[in-house]
Amino acid sequence: MFEHDDDTLNRMIDRLREPVEMDPRLDARVMTRVASPGFGARAAGAWEWLRRPRAVVISPITGLGLAAAIALLVWFLPIRAPARGESMASDVTPVQFVVVAPGAESVSLVGDFNDWDARLTPMRAVRDGRLWTVTIPLAAGRHRYAFLVNGARWLADPSAPRAQDDFGSPSSVVTVGG
Amino acid sequence: MTTIPRVSGFVLVVALLAARAASAQDPRLEHRLDSTTLAAVGALMDSARSAGLPVEPLVQRALEGTAKHAEPDRIIAAVRRLAGELGVARASLGRESSPAELDAGASALRAGVRPEDLTLLRQRRTQSLTVALAALTDLVTGGVPPDSAAAAVLALASRARDDQIADFRRAVERDIALGATPAAAAAVRVDATLHEVTNAAANPNTPRKP
Repeated sequence: MFEHDDDTLNRMIDRLREPVEMDPRLDARVMTRVASPGFGARAAGAWEWLRRPRAVVISPITGLGLAAAIALLVWFLPIRAPARGESMASDVTPVQFVVVAPGAESVSLVGDFNDWDARLTPMRAVRDGRLWTVTIPLAAGRHRYAFLVNGARWLADPSAPRAQDDFGSPSSVVTVGG
Repeated sequence: MTTIPRVSGFVLVVALLAARAASAQDPRLEHRLDSTTLAAVGALMDSARSAGLPVEPLVQRALEGTAKHAEPDRIIAAVRRLAGELGVARASLGRESSPAELDAGASALRAGVRPEDLTLLRQRRTQSLTVALAALTDLVTGGVPPDSAAAAVLALASRARDDQIADFRRAVERDIALGATPAAAAAVRVDATLHEVTNAAANPNTPRKP
């Protein structure tokens, strides 16, 4: 029983004494890992790379071409005009405008909701042409407007508060929402 | 490395950017103002924009002037005046004010309302001030003395809804049209509106007026 155990023990000792076969690339891998920098060191290296001044050699024609290309790019970048009411509230309310203008051939509603363009909001004649009306959606806010009769005569809205006048012809105001 | 092309390229870019900035006017104005007026209005808009003020009211004032065939000097003066009023409105109402509030505030100042009253209104009312400011302006334009109009709107500011303030303004205008003195009409109607507001708060199920 003891002899058997001794044999086993000796075989184990012999086995342990055998040299271990190592991967020949292990040393290289370990040394590479030891030498490699951490994230902080890599970031510092990148920052140093970005900051290091360099001399860039370009020909005159390349320099001018580059400048022209940048200028053209900037030139064609769109500058968007804000739509009316874009900066105001987005909800709109239909508002009816009515004016008495007997005998008029045309009446337009003109105001800051249509960029003061008399062509955009013609009014419709009702009741034998004495009454002119139009309904338009308005964004919340305070709007200045006036009626343009026959393309020449400005008329304030008698049923609305008067706006302060800057140009010698009357305007009215309507306030929508809150 | 060569210096001359870099400098010339830089100069070219700067020149083109400057030309673009100078021509970056609102296209609505480009088509309707002459070049001199356009340049002057554009400069005012640039100043307003860099001060953080809304420029759309300035565009609209210039468009109104050109639609009414006003002289260029008059258009420029109107835009300049409005830009100043927007600045005072912003100083009185606070930097967080909406463009609509600033526009309404500028109108109130033009009507004769004191900047301090705009500040008080901001302090008392948590909702948007656009309708309250518009009502205040319309009352003053309709003949109510600025102090009386401001006192009335300030009394309503903390409790009344926008529609109640608008109703109050209409009621005052009706009374004035029927012959009441503007100050008396405002005083009587503000009491009635406050009573209505109090009742509505006490009886929330009471239907609103159509």
